[in-house]
Amino acid sequence: MRVRIAALGIGLVFGITICWSGMSSPDVIRGALLFEHSYLFLFFASAVATAALGLALLRRRERRALLIDTPLVWTREVPARRHIVGALLFGIGWGVADACPAPIATQIGQGIGWAVFTLAGTLAGVYLFLHRSLPETEPALDVKPSRTPSTGMAGG
Amino acid sequence: MLHHQLAWFVAGPIMGLCVVACRALFNGRLGVTGGFSELISKLSHGSLSFDWRGWFAIGIFAGGAVFLVLWGGPDFHGYGWMTRTFHGSAQIWIPILLVASGGLIGFGAKLAGGCTSGNGLSGNAALSPASLAATATFFATAIVVSFLIKAVI
Repeated sequence: MRVRIAALGIGLVFGITICWSGMSSPDVIRGALLFEHSYLFLFFASAVATAALGLALLRRRERRALLIDTPLVWTREVPARRHIVGALLFGIGWGVADACPAPIATQIGQGIGWAVFTLAGTLAGVYLFLHRSLPETEPALDVKPSRTPSTGMAGG
Repeated sequence: MLHHQLAWFVAGPIMGLCVVACRALFNGRLGVTGGFSELISKLSHGSLSFDWRGWFAIGIFAGGAVFLVLWGGPDFHGYGWMTRTFHGSAQIWIPILLVASGGLIGFGAKLAGGCTSGNGLSGNAALSPASLAATATFFATAIVVSFLIKAVI
């Protein structure tokens, strides 16, 4: 229960930040992809840098999650064909619709009618993938043994 | 419009801290497509007992609504290049293109193991080579597609 409330809260912060940074606007996305504005790239790079720094600190200090009794473990995957093919398909959709899943959700939340079509397509695409019984690629918990364990290494 | 675009050096780190919070609190890999996937999977079985991924996604929808109420919502009209390009009966192309794009976004992100958040933020921050490859691929593809559209319209 606490995990779900925490996830809801993180989603709220994430969604408001998507809106406030202008990422709900197709023209902001398109302007970035046409190299007319640097905002998206700086925004994205600073997000990744912050997250990478935070995860590196967690890796050194925390061994267990704070809300549930589970070790902090995550995997690093070797690139396979599916990553490239999937990203190609995703990139085409992103470039045409100028929205990816989080902005699609915030567009719906902001009452942008056109986004109903993008959301319907996205959910259909996800459903098609699930319906083909392909293995889950984003599980709720990364419980698989890690190739590069994040716990028990170079402790603080 | 009651708001200005939040400075990138504030907005970016907030997004990054969301990734760290998911990991520190419940060992989760933040990903919006994972959330969509949980919602559609449970709903298609008539269940509402979503795990954290579903609630994270619901939070993002709600975040848009909160922004609409507190900040006055979107500062744009229409839908980007599509509503500028297609007029009158040609507007039928907009839903067709959006549904098709959505299909590629949903299926592609699932296949690649994440979208701009799952691979782009969480995977790259964990220094996962697969996420780096996926991110380079979808950025490059989206850039090429955008320039192609610009050349055609």
